[in-house]
Amino acid sequence: MMYVLLALYIIAAPFIVGALGILYGMVLKGIDRKLTARMQGRVGPPLRQPFYDVLKLLEKECIIPENAVKWLFNAAPLIALAASITTLLYLPIGPFPPLFSGNGDLIVILYLLEVPCLAILAGGFAAGSPYSTVGSQREMVLMISCEFPLAAAIIALAWKYSSIYPGLKAFSLTTFVNNPIWNNVGVLGFIGVGILLIVMLALSTSGLGRLPFDIAEAGTEISGGMLVEYTGRNLGILYINDAVRVVVFATLINAMFFPYKLSPLIANYVALPLAASLTIDFLFYLFKVFLIAFVTVTLMRVAFPRYRVDDVVKFYWGIAGLATLAALILIVMDTFFGW
Amino acid sequence: MVGALNTYVTPSGFWNPILWLIAFLISLLLAYIIWSRGEKSYKKETEQVKPFFAGNVIESKERAHVRAHNIYWGFVEALRPYYMALKRIHTGDVNDYVAWFIGVTSFMLIIYFLWGVKP
Repeated sequence: MMYVLLALYIIAAPFIVGALGILYGMVLKGIDRKLTARMQGRVGPPLRQPFYDVLKLLEKECIIPENAVKWLFNAAPLIALAASITTLLYLPIGPFPPLFSGNGDLIVILYLLEVPCLAILAGGFAAGSPYSTVGSQREMVLMISCEFPLAAAIIALAWKYSSIYPGLKAFSLTTFVNNPIWNNVGVLGFIGVGILLIVMLALSTSGLGRLPFDIAEAGTEISGGMLVEYTGRNLGILYINDAVRVVVFATLINAMFFPYKLSPLIANYVALPLAASLTIDFLFYLFKVFLIAFVTVTLMRVAFPRYRVDDVVKFYWGIAGLATLAALILIVMDTFFGW
Repeated sequence: MVGALNTYVTPSGFWNPILWLIAFLISLLLAYIIWSRGEKSYKKETEQVKPFFAGNVIESKERAHVRAHNIYWGFVEALRPYYMALKRIHTGDVNDYVAWFIGVTSFMLIIYFLWGVKP
């Protein structure tokens, strides 16, 4: 009986989380486009436009270029979307712990975040087009550039947890969620964690391939880069994947830096039944994800123009890398000297 | 509940590759269901299957090929001072390489004898 339940749980989990990720990701896409338009003095499309876009793409012809490696070209979008949905299973969704809690830590999540990028760049190479090849090459540069600050940021926080809670799993997101990092640092540590938050926000923007780090697609420069040959249902799946990844990155940042709940605050004034407190915390989570997505996607693309390839390398290996190391030193000083 | 499956545990982390693989395959099924709802057909043997090249004619696959070393352009450009220093060191003279080898080995031996692990 237990194994039947276990099998049902494992089968149902990706569908539940996948549906949530896709629907909320598409809503966030609609909000992003609307807010971007408003900030640029335009009316913008309706909030439901991303749903229309996907339906339209599913009805369009799905062209396979004559030079393409057909199976890889078709498989890449599916692998990308599947990997993005799988990543959500390891992340806490609002008041609920990760569905696969205890079966994958931050290092696993770190690598799972790379899988969709690898799939899409493989699809770009498989398209057999000069533009998509250039786009895929740029995506590789972007991935290599982001590796160091991303790993260093996560290790810095995990080191802090391992030093103050030696009995807990330092790389477990549950440790992060149950012991918010801001509550466990002094002034120097607070500054260090603040720097790491800024670096993580910048890394999210590049992980999502958005302005100013959209060098791999660069519509006005290389006509969509990796995606230039994708049409119809393949492009539709990539569009959905893009929406899910916004939820993934925002949920990860929420779990690492803002794992707070609203219901304990309200419970000081009003007695809340369990269902009500779960609902409030879930809605609060959706709001926090929206705010993070607003900063990493909407605000960034309105405020900054696209970087050049070498500027991206300079930014991540130079500014972000040094900032992460400085944050690590501040956190170490905070831990040893209690400042 | 999923803890019933074997999970690799280290002092600071954990992961379950089998569970990941199962979840990935189920997610792949979900993606495939959406993908399979889309239009399958396209016009083969027409211009639409030609790779996009901004309206220019691709004379041959070989001439349109983008070389792999382009990947490194961003790094070389961003880290030019570092690469220039490396290029200066790579003189091509075997005497220089042997001198570097002896120098680095001597340096490491000195460090080892000064602070190395005592038996």
